[in-house]
Amino acid sequence: MIEINSLTKKFQGGITAVDEMSAYIETGSIYGLVGSNGSGKSTLLRLISGVYKPDNGIVLIDGTSPYENPEVKSRLFFVSDNPYFIHQCNVMEMAKFYKMAYSRFSDERFNYLRSVFPIDPNMRIVNMSKGMQRQAALMLALSVNPDYLLLDEAFDGLDPVIRQVIKRLLADGITEHNMTAIISSHNLRELEDLCDHVGLLHKGKFIFNRELDDIKLTIQKVQGVFNPVPPPEKLKDLNILRITQQGSLLNMIIRGDREEIRQKLNQLNPTFLEMVPPTLEEIFIYELEAANYDVNSILL
Amino acid sequence: MVSIDLQSRTPIYEQIVNGFSRLCLIGALHAHDKLPSVRSLALDLGINPNTVQKAYQILENKGLIYSIEGKGSFISDEAQLSSQKYSQICEHLKAAVTDAYTQGLPKQQAQIVLDDVYSGRSAGND
Repeated sequence: MIEINSLTKKFQGGITAVDEMSAYIETGSIYGLVGSNGSGKSTLLRLISGVYKPDNGIVLIDGTSPYENPEVKSRLFFVSDNPYFIHQCNVMEMAKFYKMAYSRFSDERFNYLRSVFPIDPNMRIVNMSKGMQRQAALMLALSVNPDYLLLDEAFDGLDPVIRQVIKRLLADGITEHNMTAIISSHNLRELEDLCDHVGLLHKGKFIFNRELDDIKLTIQKVQGVFNPVPPPEKLKDLNILRITQQGSLLNMIIRGDREEIRQKLNQLNPTFLEMVPPTLEEIFIYELEAANYDVNSILL
Repeated sequence: MVSIDLQSRTPIYEQIVNGFSRLCLIGALHAHDKLPSVRSLALDLGINPNTVQKAYQILENKGLIYSIEGKGSFISDEAQLSSQKYSQICEHLKAAVTDAYTQGLPKQQAQIVLDDVYSGRSAGND
């Protein structure tokens, strides 16, 4: 389990990248980290992997701080958004390097992964395309059999076939040795299918950190036809995040329990009422709108 | 075995639950047939094993499957499955009502049809 408590990280120039963050990430889950640009996703991942020292607060991995702690670090692997490789090395040489650093590095696993990924392990990594470099990084990461796999935008730049391979390897790691994966990404469609828990970050803080299926129950997309359309004061005990009207048709985004919303709206005698759960992308946009990261002020 | 639609708004765990329910109803799965393991289904579909686990838990709570420690999950007796037929009937009804709605049938009129059927007024009356 990863435990984060009042975690704060500041950088030069008065930037507070991670601001009093608190959260739990359960073992064996696929955790999706989403958020606006500069919201602190990468900084949080670097704090969890022990690259940065927190200015305040703690991050504990199974009860121990990862910073300058080789034992904890040997059980986690961080694939950064810009994977680092030693100059002029190929995958075989990098494997040798990781074998020195990670006691859990498995030759058997590495050989298996070599047969899975269609890249030449003797090609210099510097000559590889961006997507192939990502594959090389993931291949090395999975050879270590980490308990915690941190992927910073690791899916970006991978082709659909390889994405499916990675998903299967993640599923394998979770069922075989209860691995935990934390994935940051802007591809919300993909995270929605993959993750069981999601944390939304904005300006260094969590907006929410919950089970994905629970989040979907807290916001409803409602389409209703009313004759006549109720005046705004009749809708005021509903927590409406967004409302648009086209004739007698009201499109609303309402925060709250599905049945409660249905009951309240039924009292207004709709001729038609439909409620659908929102997608992760919609939740992202509405929650950030509510946090004053206004999409409408950006769109022209 | 079950297929899922990643474009659908229906959550994946619900699609798995519905998928197995349907396979039972159409007779593709019989009582005491073994379900794929959580691992193999997750690998086949390329989805989160926790999602599969959640679906199996729901199926078990519904009495559709039973599990034996160390052996896996199995379809339960068909007698228990008959109640699941209601869910399929509801789906058909919903499809019919959706069709009526998109063709402009007012809610009040649909309500009348429903009331008529349930009070026996339209029985055998074509």
